Amino acid sequence: MLTDFGIILIFFIVGVLFVAAGLFVSSLIRPSHPNKIKNSTYECGEEPIGSPWIKFNIRYYVVALMFLLFEVEIVFLFPWTVVFKQLGWYAFSSMAVFMVILVFGLAYVWGKGDLEWDKPKPYIPKLEDFVDMKD
Amino acid sequence: MGPISHSINFLEELQKSVGLFAPETALTVTFLLAIVADLIFRRSRNVTGFIALLGFIATGALLMSNSSTSAFAFNSTYAIDPFANFFKLLILITSYLIVVISFFSAELYHGNRKLGEYYTLIIGMTFGMFILCSSTNLIMIYIGIEAMSLCSYVLSGYTKEIRRSSEASLKYVIYGAVSSGIMIYGISLIYGLTGHLGLAEINHSLNVANLDHITLLVSGMMIIAGFAYKISAVPFHFWTPDVYEGAPVTITAFLSVASKAAGFAALIRFFKVVFAAVPAQGSIPDATWNMLGSIDWRIVIAILSVLTMTLGNLVALKQTNVKRLLAYSSIAHAGYMLMGVTVMSEIGVQSVLVYLVAYMFMNLGAFYVVMQYANLIGSEELEDYTGIGYRAPVLGICMVIFLVSLLGFPSTVGFIGKLYIFSAVLSFAGKNGQNFYWLAIMGVINSAISAYFYIKIVRNMFVRGAEFDKEKFKLSPESLVVALIIVIPTLYFGLFPGAVIRWAETSLKILVGN
Repeated sequence: MLTDFGIILIFFIVGVLFVAAGLFVSSLIRPSHPNKIKNSTYECGEEPIGSPWIKFNIRYYVVALMFLLFEVEIVFLFPWTVVFKQLGWYAFSSMAVFMVILVFGLAYVWGKGDLEWDKPKPYIPKLEDFVDMKD
Repeated sequence: MGPISHSINFLEELQKSVGLFAPETALTVTFLLAIVADLIFRRSRNVTGFIALLGFIATGALLMSNSSTSAFAFNSTYAIDPFANFFKLLILITSYLIVVISFFSAELYHGNRKLGEYYTLIIGMTFGMFILCSSTNLIMIYIGIEAMSLCSYVLSGYTKEIRRSSEASLKYVIYGAVSSGIMIYGISLIYGLTGHLGLAEINHSLNVANLDHITLLVSGMMIIAGFAYKISAVPFHFWTPDVYEGAPVTITAFLSVASKAAGFAALIRFFKVVFAAVPAQGSIPDATWNMLGSIDWRIVIAILSVLTMTLGNLVALKQTNVKRLLAYSSIAHAGYMLMGVTVMSEIGVQSVLVYLVAYMFMNLGAFYVVMQYANLIGSEELEDYTGIGYRAPVLGICMVIFLVSLLGFPSTVGFIGKLYIFSAVLSFAGKNGQNFYWLAIMGVINSAISAYFYIKIVRNMFVRGAEFDKEKFKLSPESLVVALIIVIPTLYFGLFPGAVIRWAETSLKILVGN
């Protein structure tokens, strides 16, 4: 007797076999002439330089947090849309309260100025910085 | 029963639950009002604080109004019972006092800082602790712990310009993440073992299946680790000294009282509902809980208790920073309270409740005076306290009373707490003549050790460097009034403890199963 997890396991095994069989069969019939350019990560495009593990500006995290606010909203809205007709006004008002609370969150972030993308103000050196102008 | 009638039943249950949930709803509304007020009144720095105070009063009134209710809410994941009510009221009083105390803090108001978020987060943390006190489901307990912890992480790093405050916050986050990871692993093991997350259902399946598994011991230990982290019991205490030293004094006081109380509420409920045998219908329940299975959880808690108080007191001996010293002393006090949990009986729980009330007053008071001293001399080092007792006499006398109460001196409320704990431990008589006299003896030895460092603070304040000629500090009358508001119950309940004891006695009812 297969459980639901058993079906998933069979699906998983079949998936792995399918890919493996495809790769194996194609390796039998395709020509194989590897060279340096073919083996590079991007056959056409820029060569990657340096490590991708760099420091991100903290502004991106604020954006990510804001995104989370609305993501959570969607997660709760979808199941609600399926059943709210049966549940009536009570469900509607509950969701309305939830939305109002979320809007408070948005208003708060907006009011606190966290939606502003504060650009860094680079200091552009002037001639006076290099030359003593007193003379 | 079709899906529609099922959902209608669900709605009825939900509507009933929302009524029972009124105090928490009041806190949520206060939280939202505080956020809006913070946006509207941009100039004012205290408006959210005052809103918090009003909201706490409203919440308190709602709590009082359903103080005798006992009911489950939200599909038996949330219990409104006198036990939870006791803790909620205790936490609410603490939060109220913390907000009042914060108005006097110089380090918080340093550099024209906006404190809107500060008070708002205190409301949020109170909400999380309310959840923790009432949860009867492991997932709800976890949500409560997280709601409380997230706010406390931010609060402990609120004074950003002070390096050790940020350090405290970061350490707290890392230790907190590890401990909640361990706890949720334990929860998943228990779920795998029993197939349930509700505490009462877990109890039922433990009872029926007679699970005496090493897995049960391991998962129980892991969940205890999560609670032990919150009450800062050894060996999960490593965050306590650093966080208590680095965080603003008000937050240190809040963490040491309220979050500890919430941790104890969840711990006691967990043991009572999961591991105690439910008495048969109609029989008079035993005052001492009859524990399921062959694992002796009493010994586990007793060992935890001895370790906690011994380490707390021994390390406190060497401390030179008063905040750090009080942090270790608060670890030791968690150990004393664990002695009461060890007994796992009605008397044991009552003694913990009495002790928590005592601990709330004396610890808040001690931290309040430390904060006032920091305002005056800008330091929390024991060395800088020399002769300060003469320069601010009223505060000095208050501090002596708080310290003597923490030590457990007769005629203070701390003595009543210790008396109840020790008598609960001594009264325990288990099966096969098991008793905990050794635990009580350890407690007494530890109390004696603690005398040294509490009196050391007093000696530094009054005996050493008695500089009568030095200028006296001027304190605002309000700040003295606050000190007196905390001192008076410390002394009054020490002499006439009847009200506290009765309150604890009527709050013993923990809802078990339905």
